[in-house]
Amino acid sequence: MTAARALEALRPYLLPLLVLMLTWAVIASVTPSFRGAASAYSVLEGFALAGLVALGLAATIIAGELDLSVGSMAALAAIVMVLCEDAGLVGAIAIATAAGVAFGALQGWLIGRLGINSLVFTIGTLILLRGITYMAAGHEPIMIERFEITDPMLDRYWVFSWSSITALATFGLAALFLGYTRWGREIYAIGGARAEAVSAGVPRVRPIAVAFAISAGCAALAGALAAARGGSAAPQNYDDLLLTGAAAALLGGISLYGGRGNVLNVALGVAILSAVGAGLAVRGTAASLVQLVTGALLLVVIGGEFLADRLGRRGRGRNGMSRASGGLS
Amino acid sequence: MTAPRADAPAAGQAGRPGGAEAARLWPIVALASLAVLVIAAMAVTPNFLSVENLRGILRNAAIVGIVAVAMAPVTLSGSFVSLGVTQSAMAAMVGFVVLIGWGWPDWLAVGAVIAGMVAIGMVQGVLVAAGLNPVITTLAAGAILFGTVSELTGGRIVRMGPARPAWGGGEVLGIPLEILVLVLFTGAVTLLMSRSVIGRQTILVGANRATAAVSGISHARVTLVAFAVFSVGLALAGILNAAAFGEAMANSLTGLTFSVIAALLVGGIAIQGGAGSPWQAAAGAVLIAVISNMMVLNDFSPGGRLAVQGAVVVAAVVLIDQVRRRRARG
Repeated sequence: MTAARALEALRPYLLPLLVLMLTWAVIASVTPSFRGAASAYSVLEGFALAGLVALGLAATIIAGELDLSVGSMAALAAIVMVLCEDAGLVGAIAIATAAGVAFGALQGWLIGRLGINSLVFTIGTLILLRGITYMAAGHEPIMIERFEITDPMLDRYWVFSWSSITALATFGLAALFLGYTRWGREIYAIGGARAEAVSAGVPRVRPIAVAFAISAGCAALAGALAAARGGSAAPQNYDDLLLTGAAAALLGGISLYGGRGNVLNVALGVAILSAVGAGLAVRGTAASLVQLVTGALLLVVIGGEFLADRLGRRGRGRNGMSRASGGLS
Repeated sequence: MTAPRADAPAAGQAGRPGGAEAARLWPIVALASLAVLVIAAMAVTPNFLSVENLRGILRNAAIVGIVAVAMAPVTLSGSFVSLGVTQSAMAAMVGFVVLIGWGWPDWLAVGAVIAGMVAIGMVQGVLVAAGLNPVITTLAAGAILFGTVSELTGGRIVRMGPARPAWGGGEVLGIPLEILVLVLFTGAVTLLMSRSVIGRQTILVGANRATAAVSGISHARVTLVAFAVFSVGLALAGILNAAAFGEAMANSLTGLTFSVIAALLVGGIAIQGGAGSPWQAAAGAVLIAVISNMMVLNDFSPGGRLAVQGAVVVAAVVLIDQVRRRRARG
């Protein structure tokens, strides 16, 4: 009995886990240098940029929405981090992240309050934030002048760095928040079956505001960490983070239909993409090929999820209907 | 139905009839704000009304306008927007440059690029018609296109060489070619949507897919036609750009995706589908170009212009949505 129950609990992670092990095995076998601590280090580094963005995006996808503005948010936060260098390393990152959380909460509140389609709204803010980013940076890349404050970012502890530790801690916090707090569970309820949840007394606006605050906050933290690591920020950066973030979240098993998936799913997805990226980078492949592979994986995943949903629905009769109607897109 | 939809239940079927009405009202609001803007522009910017400047505005609006008009059927049919516009138009642009560089005759290269783009668009159309999420499908397709073109060109600039067509960036009867194509294409797509059976079906499917399906309208056919029209527009935009510049690279046309969606939204085409007409997308592109031009003449920085453009999109989206809701209620 317990074995069967354990298997049932593991079920949502089996496929991504399998893909991860396969990817890792393939990459390690064709690229001998991709082994051991070095490969673990580079995969974990992926959590600090694309991983955090995927985590934030996942919160909005679980809520049945989508935040397209994450790339612009990360770019703006990177600029803010550099501009606030006088607050010290931790201070500057904290300011940039807090600004992201505040913006995201406002954006989510407006989306929930006005009942507006989040795709459309965040396309507007994506353009707006990018414009503000250029203005804040003075239209050119900017550098941290007291570069010694970023020294801790270059330290390495076995397979960890301060950025990957921060990212993993954020993943842990998000897991606790989404899984075990009232506000977190509300996000699932509103994304799984919105009409039913609202009838049952779940507030309509708060979960959406919280989900967008998480997504903008994570994107901002990702941008700020990257700026701290590199000691500089450029206003045109991070256009492609949306693709990588969405691909990672969906690869790990976050459902595009809303209300399903958790932080562990995101972590698995990030690990897969990060391994692919690191593996290709070791082979000296151009970034454009990584995009190609990411795009192809993304197509396979949403195709697979669609087929699984179709087959599952056939098995369960009409139960799937209400869930799909509440989903994002 | 099986395919997931982006509208929350609150903005669902009940809002639709009002949505159509609001979409009819919006062009008037948009034209009025255009008129106000032009008068304001004349007041603060002396050069605004010169023929040269107006032609410049239309030229800037033309490429965005062509793609926005072409995307309108996709949006109207309820498949939202493509997030792979930049990469698709870039692929058409690079493809045309390469074919001309190989010495293909102009007409054959134009035909081949259009056919190629329609084929790429049809693959996406089939996936979307089968029920895959259109936004994510086009995002993935865009990444695949970008990666493929980057690999094939090695990330370098490709040039046409001496075979560059003479009509590139030229004029017909004093009208710049891009503007002429924009006007003709807008007319054709608008007529297709408002006068043909498939066009009416597109709008019905977008307005209420379940009812359309019961009435025997094929969602798959509508989606495929919408993606075919979209691909022709992408091909035209890529070809016109390629012919005007004579060169292209994988990083060409960055930012086009969001300019196009902005034009569509500012033009008042309902994102959930079912309400609006393609010419509104062209009007949205011109409106944004006018605002942008006013800011250029008044020394706004590029970042400032982008910020204002984003604010205009947010404001337009909220305004249209509120009007639609008000109408649906009363």
